[in-house]
Amino acid sequence: MRPPEVRIVFFTSVVDWNPLKADSDSLKIPHLRELAMIGHLDADCFYVSAERVRHPDLVGKAVGVLGNNGACVIAKSYEMKAAGVKTGTPVWEAKKLCPEGVFIKRDFYWYEVLSRKMLDIVGKFSPRVEYYSIDEFFLHAEPLYRGQQLHQAAVQMRDRIKEIAGLPVTIGVARTRTLAKLFSDTAKPFGAVAVTNRDHEEHLLSKLPVTEISGIAGRRAARLEPYGIRSCLDFARADGRLINKLLTKTGYELWEEINGRPVQKVRTERSPHKALARGGSLMGSVDDPVKLWAWCVRHLERLCEELAYHNVRTDRLVVQVAYKDHEPGVGTAPLDHPCGRFDQLLDAARVGLRRAFKGYAMPATHMWVMADSLRRERGFQMSLFESPDPQRQRIAELKSQVNERFGRFKLRSGTTLHLPAVYADPANDFDICDVRGKVCF
Amino acid sequence: MCSGIAIAWSELPLSVIETHGLTERVHERGGEKEVRFLWQARPTLLPVWLDGRIKVAAWGTRDRRSSLPQGGWTWEATIESGGWSQSRAEPVDVPATFVSAGGVWTRVRHGLKGLAVETPAGPVVYLICRPSTRYYRVMTRCEFQPVLIGEVI
Repeated sequence: MRPPEVRIVFFTSVVDWNPLKADSDSLKIPHLRELAMIGHLDADCFYVSAERVRHPDLVGKAVGVLGNNGACVIAKSYEMKAAGVKTGTPVWEAKKLCPEGVFIKRDFYWYEVLSRKMLDIVGKFSPRVEYYSIDEFFLHAEPLYRGQQLHQAAVQMRDRIKEIAGLPVTIGVARTRTLAKLFSDTAKPFGAVAVTNRDHEEHLLSKLPVTEISGIAGRRAARLEPYGIRSCLDFARADGRLINKLLTKTGYELWEEINGRPVQKVRTERSPHKALARGGSLMGSVDDPVKLWAWCVRHLERLCEELAYHNVRTDRLVVQVAYKDHEPGVGTAPLDHPCGRFDQLLDAARVGLRRAFKGYAMPATHMWVMADSLRRERGFQMSLFESPDPQRQRIAELKSQVNERFGRFKLRSGTTLHLPAVYADPANDFDICDVRGKVCF
Repeated sequence: MCSGIAIAWSELPLSVIETHGLTERVHERGGEKEVRFLWQARPTLLPVWLDGRIKVAAWGTRDRRSSLPQGGWTWEATIESGGWSQSRAEPVDVPATFVSAGGVWTRVRHGLKGLAVETPAGPVVYLICRPSTRYYRVMTRCEFQPVLIGEVI
């Protein structure tokens, strides 16, 4: 249902302004126009909040959501955070820090359902929304009425999401993506802030260390430190040429954004993938080559689904294996012509794994299968030696149809029978990377 | 293994709480009262759905003189192979909000599956268990896990 009070007007132009040519006074704008503002929406401890939607009794309790292996906390409530549990803390340490805490197995199916619901609500406020990640969106935001405050619009959106989806979110509105993200972080939890004048901006920036800027971590901050750039405000006030010299173009663009000049647009559609990969933990150490091959086939089947979904083929397959006590092994297998079908890529995967395999006594912990040279389905040169194989094509289509109708992996390679525990748990059928359309990865 | 369960205070009838003196087992988690049924508590009790009502029953037995197996758990495979067929045991649901294993509390949707045996002293309930999934084993470091109603961890 469309909210009656708020309308979002698109902003389509990006300020084209080169600060290197501008005078310093122009940086100090007394009143920023409330046009062309960007909103950043971040769900508060999203996985935990999603669990609280279906289990309201968890509200107020210390809750931690565990990752794919059941070992580490991937999201925690503020109550659990107060007990000292951090993202990445193993459950056996977390239970000591927070004995009354409740630990929950992740359920990405459910989290995607709520994420899409949230996206749908936000879409009613602003049809120009970037689905950045499962719990983070960027959007163009403007008030409906002349004179209406952006802050009111942000509050309305936040409250509407809480009312309909049951999720607490924080919304920051500012002149650029980077500023909006910074300010929404300061307003957490369940906050709504619109920073519409430079004084307010500077006040907030002065309180934030420069490392709060997404993209400036330890090494970059260390480069800024000798120049006395410690806070976000120091960074904003620094000479752009110095920032360009110290942090290259990426850092310079951040500097532009911190000074309110949009560089990064709101992307309503994800740009085409340059590479696709599937893989991850092998759920323990694996030194049995048969099981390693089974994992490789599992990842290849998942990868083929993605290739088909994005309507691309690859002419190279890369298998990377991480070992417990050794350097990772990487095996590359070029293909004669761009392929996307499982049966076509199977031999290449075998070659790739053989090249990445380091020996029988070397337990592997992680594996990825990557297609890093993608071609659009209709945009590649066919090989002279490639002969159409309609029968295999039909088999591939049938497999896809069966799985679509009866559930993922219902029809799969027999090789994967060596991984009964993996397929016995339906939660393993769907990972965070299977949530499509996200911009971040 | 499952070393205990907790159920929200509001889900247990007051009469049950009073009859069995469960007030000593009341704890608070996040500002909400819950009743905990732990294996190390004495007497060892479990809430159970019997005859359409929540009752409190003995959780297994520690009595070596008893004809019933010692302990509070039974394998799912034992039931399936007919190991309890002579005991007139009945499958029952054990309502629970949280389950504790290896010191880790986790939320369950509906509860656990159990097996109730009628004795002259009243019903005795065993929790049904099976070998742990890898996830549960990593999470709790327990080799066997309770059979949950409508879900697998």
